[in-house]
Amino acid sequence: MPGSRLSRALVVGAIALTPTPASAEALNLPVAARVISFVQPPPSGTVVAAIVYDPRNPASEAEADAIERGAGTAFAAGKATLKFKRVPVTALGGLAGSQVAFVTAGLREGQVQLGAAAARQSILTITADVTCVQAGNCAVAISGGQRVQITVSRAACKAGNLRFGSAFLMLVKEI
Amino acid sequence: MSARFRLAAASLLGSLLSTGAMAQAVDYAALEETVGEPVTTSVTGKPQRASETPAAVEIITLNEIRMSPAVDVPGLLKSYAGIDVNRWTEGQSDVAVRGGVRTYNPRLLVLVNGRQVYLDHYGMTDWNLLGVEVGEIQQIEVVRGPATALFGFNAASAVINIITIAPDEKPRISGTAETGSLGHSRLNLAATTALGKAVRLRLSGGHGRDDERATPASPQQSGQLANVSHDHVSGIVDIEPDARTRITLNTGYARNEQLELLPSQYPTKQRFSITRAGVRVDRDTSWGSITANGYANWLDSAYGVGGNSVLGTEYDMKNRIAVLQGSSLIRLGLNDVARIGVEYRSNVLRGDALFSPRVGYSVISGSAMLDLHPSDRVGLTFAGRVDRLGLSQSGTPLAPAASNASDFDRDFVRGSFNAAVLLELGPSSQLRINGGLGYQVPSLIDFSTRIPSGTLNGLPILFAGDPSLNPVAAWSGEIGLSHRFSDRLSVTGSLFYNATTDAIGTPGDLANFQLSFVGGPALVGRFGVSGDFRAMGLEVSARGTLGRDFKWRANYSFTDSEDRLLSYHRIALAPEATTARHKANFELSYRGKRWFATGLMRYTSPTQQLGVVNVPQLVLLPVHAALAWDQKLGIRIGKAVVFVAGDNLTKASGASGSPIPADRRVRAGITFWL
Repeated sequence: MPGSRLSRALVVGAIALTPTPASAEALNLPVAARVISFVQPPPSGTVVAAIVYDPRNPASEAEADAIERGAGTAFAAGKATLKFKRVPVTALGGLAGSQVAFVTAGLREGQVQLGAAAARQSILTITADVTCVQAGNCAVAISGGQRVQITVSRAACKAGNLRFGSAFLMLVKEI
Repeated sequence: MSARFRLAAASLLGSLLSTGAMAQAVDYAALEETVGEPVTTSVTGKPQRASETPAAVEIITLNEIRMSPAVDVPGLLKSYAGIDVNRWTEGQSDVAVRGGVRTYNPRLLVLVNGRQVYLDHYGMTDWNLLGVEVGEIQQIEVVRGPATALFGFNAASAVINIITIAPDEKPRISGTAETGSLGHSRLNLAATTALGKAVRLRLSGGHGRDDERATPASPQQSGQLANVSHDHVSGIVDIEPDARTRITLNTGYARNEQLELLPSQYPTKQRFSITRAGVRVDRDTSWGSITANGYANWLDSAYGVGGNSVLGTEYDMKNRIAVLQGSSLIRLGLNDVARIGVEYRSNVLRGDALFSPRVGYSVISGSAMLDLHPSDRVGLTFAGRVDRLGLSQSGTPLAPAASNASDFDRDFVRGSFNAAVLLELGPSSQLRINGGLGYQVPSLIDFSTRIPSGTLNGLPILFAGDPSLNPVAAWSGEIGLSHRFSDRLSVTGSLFYNATTDAIGTPGDLANFQLSFVGGPALVGRFGVSGDFRAMGLEVSARGTLGRDFKWRANYSFTDSEDRLLSYHRIALAPEATTARHKANFELSYRGKRWFATGLMRYTSPTQQLGVVNVPQLVLLPVHAALAWDQKLGIRIGKAVVFVAGDNLTKASGASGSPIPADRRVRAGITFWL
């Protein structure tokens, strides 16, 4: 639908160009990819990365578009190469086979289901939405601004049996 | 062991093992890319972002190093705030931080990947003996102020930790070949590869030479003019038996030969060679990390090579240090960290210019650090360390002497500390307040040297060390403020104060000779305590970007030094005169798709430096204010960079901070990577 494409384009533009509060930022993909390499043991080879979005929320969908566009067909993450697939939060069965999930903002109640599904499957969830990490539904939040700030949820990591190297954890804010 | 044998042995070991990457359990490059700024472990022992350290840290990054016109590490350091680099001769440099400029500066601890390259026998750093080429360096970390609570004795004014590039998984060969004016040539090669999934190897080697500067009339000239030459080979093996464990083996050999100004300011030609070997094990745990580290350095040194110097003859000395360290970082709760550490150090000096054939000491140390974050905006750090040193000697003392053998049977204990508060004033502003007490231990030369120097009225004259000397205390305090105005501009400022008590120096031309009857009568001038000095000042640094392709940085340092020392005629030390009051640097660099260029302007206000014009009289010689221009220009062609560079293009005589005037040096070369 042209109207919806226009609104999506406008939202993408707004995310990409305007300084916005941390919770509405697009995910910093290069930093997110770097974070993956600090998981122990570090993933290697081809790693499937889900982009989780809410198809009912244009902002969420636009952020997923932005991540996808930034990633291209593959994206290096330390020793791993990321291959992306989109997973709607309304169909979390699509997470199967993923080791990493990039979580868009605006999932609303879907965050809780996502957190539970990611924990069951030991999927590392990374988002720009720090509220998702504060709620323990996502493992890592990356916020930008003038300084990159990384927040890690100990509860979400524990639930997903995920472990980071200690050098990395000493550089981030753990909650 | 002959130098040739050591070179061969080090090469062989290098091919089996590796060199110096002790701190690579922390992947500096990956962490920097993640948090968007350099990361250091040199302040508290735990990894920290440069903007969150509780001390004034300067981190010279890989990009800055590659763009810099500098040819060596002192050249890289000279344009940063609070750092004085005096290039006394073409081969000999000394680096002083926040005052205390002197030859053979003992107050700055220098490490490569956490392994000491500071030479304990004389308490000095030979910057041509590091065993590292500029092209191998990932970053250089400068921690201003005493860091003895983390690193032990001798980090009394600052610590510099040089981090080398970690071995890569991909096979890679890189190198640089360059030639230039005044006999300059330099060649270095490095190769890195992986052996299976768990082992990475890096081998490197280099050679360099330069003509010595044209020097004024004797005795600076003194028939000793020597070309500077230096060579090294080294190797590192990183082994990762599992995802949580890293074992790093390192070995290396380096040698050099150069004209130097001794602490007495007399020029003599020196020859050094050093063999190094070490192993480090890092283990990541669910609560933090454990590190075990052991290394040894074997130094062969020859002073007064050729015999045509004030020393009269050539003196050879062999120094062996062996260090065992264990430490653990422990995460307390969510964001607090503790560190505990123990260390044993054995330091032995053998030679023919000592009280007895063998003099040494051992040090046992324990340390602890707490890094607490009671809130998001407040960080508190406290570090403390206790060192116990036991001095000893063995063999038959040479007669006549200035001490009794029993004088060497002593030990002492010193406690040092650092404390700091870091306040986040906003998302872009940090206020830092810190203070500390560090110690500089007297060198084995200070304790035990014995150099005959003719006779007077039939009595032999000796210059001698003193085993009763005590460690030199260095107090310091600092208030610093950092603010990042935007991605394009950040500013840092610090006010500092430091005080050094009972500073030790070398006898001057009017040494206080005393009669000694140990093993026969002699007139003795001793290494001794000269008094106190202090420095206070201000450092301001700013950096930013202009458009997409230009970067700039600027800094200004004001240092007010005051000493209450014996006359330099008695003890050759005069930091008030030798430390520049004003220094300023401005660097502008351009990086396009193929071309790059860096220009650096450096201003240093006038100083006076100790020198010898009419033997044996020490005088303070004027060193003029200098405005020096360094430049590098390069173009990338495929997998190579072709460059031209120049140092002191303005030919400012005072640019080296030495009584020997600086000259202009230009060079051209190629760097490649395959």
